[in-house]
Amino acid sequence: MDDLQFRRQAYGDPNNQSHDFLQHMANHPDDAKLVKDLKSLDNQLTQALNIPVPEDLAEKLLLRQQLNQHQQTQKRTRYLMAMAASIAFIVGVSFSMLRFTPIDLSEHALAHVYHETKALQIEQDIGFNDVNFKLANMSGLQQSKFIQQPGRVFYTAYCDFQGVKSLHLVMQDENGQKVTLFIVPAEERLKLDSVFADAKYKGQGFQSADAYMLLVGEQHSDLNYVKREIEQTFI
Amino acid sequence: MFEILRKKKTDATVLSDMVNKQRRYDSLVRALHTDIFRYAFWLCGDKHVAEDITQETFLRAWRSLDSLNDDKAAKAWLITILRRENARRFERKQFDYSDVEQEQLEDVFSSSTEDETEQYWLRRQIAKLDIEYREPLLLQLIGGFSGDEIADMLALNRNTVMTRLFRARNQLKDALDTPEVRGQSNG
Repeated sequence: MDDLQFRRQAYGDPNNQSHDFLQHMANHPDDAKLVKDLKSLDNQLTQALNIPVPEDLAEKLLLRQQLNQHQQTQKRTRYLMAMAASIAFIVGVSFSMLRFTPIDLSEHALAHVYHETKALQIEQDIGFNDVNFKLANMSGLQQSKFIQQPGRVFYTAYCDFQGVKSLHLVMQDENGQKVTLFIVPAEERLKLDSVFADAKYKGQGFQSADAYMLLVGEQHSDLNYVKREIEQTFI
Repeated sequence: MFEILRKKKTDATVLSDMVNKQRRYDSLVRALHTDIFRYAFWLCGDKHVAEDITQETFLRAWRSLDSLNDDKAAKAWLITILRRENARRFERKQFDYSDVEQEQLEDVFSSSTEDETEQYWLRRQIAKLDIEYREPLLLQLIGGFSGDEIADMLALNRNTVMTRLFRARNQLKDALDTPEVRGQSNG
């Protein structure tokens, strides 16, 4: 290690512990003295750098952090409250929108027939008392009933017209063609068409005392016959 | 029912995480605030500004305490935050500190005895050093960092750091060894 390099290292870090550095010091007493001087300079410097720290600084730092933390928690709570409130609001609004949107019964009736194909395949023979029992369970239709058997009833089940519980029946016309009947409790938002049809099915809608009736049958079935039958037996 | 059970458990873990974090932060503050404050002071030359920067530094440290994986690196990490915070101070306030700070180094103690006069004088000499020489010296003496670590923190290469350390010590030593200059500066 030459002298210049040694001096650079000594000034850079007098506490250098590398072998070369220590070796050089052992061989050159003058340089060893230089390092000693530098170390004592470092001592002086360190003492000078050690300015007094405010006694309560640590406490202040912790306090500041605690306050900050507290504020943030509060902000977050407020934010969460606001979020909850707006979500509740949206839910409320969309729920009431949903409730008051008009429902097109004929469209739903057709969709329902397509959807529940098994209804047209089941070959039960259900008495009108069973049907009446089901009717009695429906809100708004407690008073309605069949007074006698309206022809053969093949199938009966509850179904759902956009949140309105209604009754799904499968009956037959005079030629034995199956006709689907929906009995829907009358509600203001329901929209009833008296005649409707699509490529496969045709339908009729009419109103009885408390309910909307929807008949859906194939193109050549005689809906008027079924309609008359129901008007005679259903009060 | 399930919801309630699950929520309870999560709350408990969150709480214990919070307690752990708080404990970690407490020890960080107590162990390192002295060095950080001193470093800040020697960086900016004003006790109050140094306190402000220290506050900001530790607050930032709190916010990103989770990203501190290695506790040994805590001091370097804090100093990095501190330096950024100090730089930000210059962005925020457009007026120039550098003219004032070196000359009006705060008198942080009363210079009654010979020894303290000497120290006061030495402090002024340190404050007079150019910041680029002063900072590596601070990192070495206050921070206890090696040449390599200082090079890392200041984004310099090691030779540059060693040269700056050399010049810093050289200037201080010269100043100490030259009594006339000393007389002048004591005025």
